[in-house]
Amino acid sequence: MKLPKFLYFRPKTIEKALATFTAYDGKAVYLAGGTDLIPCMKLGLKKPTAVIDLKGIEELKNVRFEGDKILIGSLVTLFELSKTPMIKEKFPALFEALVSTSCETLQMRGTIGGNILQDTRCLFYNQSEFWRKAKGPCVKTGGERCHVIGASECFSNYMSDITPALITLGASLKLVGIEGERDILLKDIFTENGASPLSLKPGEILYQISIPNEPMKGGYEKLRLRGSIDYPLLGIALSGSIEKVRIAVGGIGPAPKIWEGKLEEVPLSTQKLSQETKAIANTIMDPLYRKHMIPVLSQRLAKRVFGN
Amino acid sequence: MEFIRVQFKVNGEEVDLSVKPYETLLETLRNRLELTGTKEGCSLGACGACTVLLNGMPVRSCLLLTAELNGQEITTIESLKQGDKLHPLQEAFVNHGAVQCGFCTPGMILTAKALLDRNPKPTRSDIIRAISSNICRCTGYKKIIEAIETVVQKEER
Repeated sequence: MKLPKFLYFRPKTIEKALATFTAYDGKAVYLAGGTDLIPCMKLGLKKPTAVIDLKGIEELKNVRFEGDKILIGSLVTLFELSKTPMIKEKFPALFEALVSTSCETLQMRGTIGGNILQDTRCLFYNQSEFWRKAKGPCVKTGGERCHVIGASECFSNYMSDITPALITLGASLKLVGIEGERDILLKDIFTENGASPLSLKPGEILYQISIPNEPMKGGYEKLRLRGSIDYPLLGIALSGSIEKVRIAVGGIGPAPKIWEGKLEEVPLSTQKLSQETKAIANTIMDPLYRKHMIPVLSQRLAKRVFGN
Repeated sequence: MEFIRVQFKVNGEEVDLSVKPYETLLETLRNRLELTGTKEGCSLGACGACTVLLNGMPVRSCLLLTAELNGQEITTIESLKQGDKLHPLQEAFVNHGAVQCGFCTPGMILTAKALLDRNPKPTRSDIIRAISSNICRCTGYKKIIEAIETVVQKEER
């Protein structure tokens, strides 16, 4: 399968990357590990004039402590991070999400930043250009109606394993853009609109991910068909204590769903969360089943983490 | 159109190429360097047939731009054999019937090699974890796992 034509740049600094983005008037994309972007370009879902490879920027590749925070550069690979001992000790939810993402080879290439900023997915979107042309455009590709349910909204699924885990840990992002820097909580970057799922401004670069350095019990459960390489058809992350536990649900719809409360409330509350969740037939698994599994996996996870 | 000059090593030899910015390593290896041992499967990073080693770590060559590779080192399946002698992993794959159609084999062997290079004594579950990056549609993995295990055991002796 061929890639469409584009120009390639490998700046060594953030400033140069931003300048290149500006020079191409928004028709540029940033490249990190490429495990999401390259397939999207091969399918003609993204057709940039310029690809700006961020891997030349060394400062994006560190993990370090600063005060009461752990700062993870956006280009740290998932594999590298999963081998960092303190991650497994302090943040088991993140560790379990890291090792359940895709497969080892892709974890070695895929970065944490790229994983967070991945595009949403749908059975009717992640298809070849030929296929999509025959079917006509959907809401995400500029049409008026969703091919699955005929709605004027897009319910494509945000399928990061890492993001729900990071949300339960209270992670925030540092973004650097043309107009300057800003910090934003990870849970706040979502628009809830699958056609354009992330609220990043054009040209903004994810600089680092910051996690409060407070060790938390937790775990991650993933619903998938294949035990090996697969996206989550539902992903449940849980972190916290008996008094205050936070659950984030990924893999259904364009934004993760978040619940916080006492451990004893998990069964009822996740039941309710499941009822409020809108799932449509846009993956290879039955939407009702995926919804039903929210309380099932949440309770299983709570039991595994805190005992009976 | 702009060409990009890249210098990197393939199987120990320096290569110096002018490539299109949108050329993947897989295309470079197969079409320019005639190293056709690396296979094109899904071309989307799912199957692992195109796996090569980048600085000793397995990567999908279909997801890698050749333009990214300045100063890096690539290892393909062609470099494993020493003269007439097969690499122990290749030998073990043959002896265990771990090759059926053979299409996934280069990727499987390179993924296994990278595992053994970074962890000479992997457990069975380490092996399964590593090669679950690669899809085989014929033999069902059992013989592949056994083949890799015998290499581990031989090296222990």
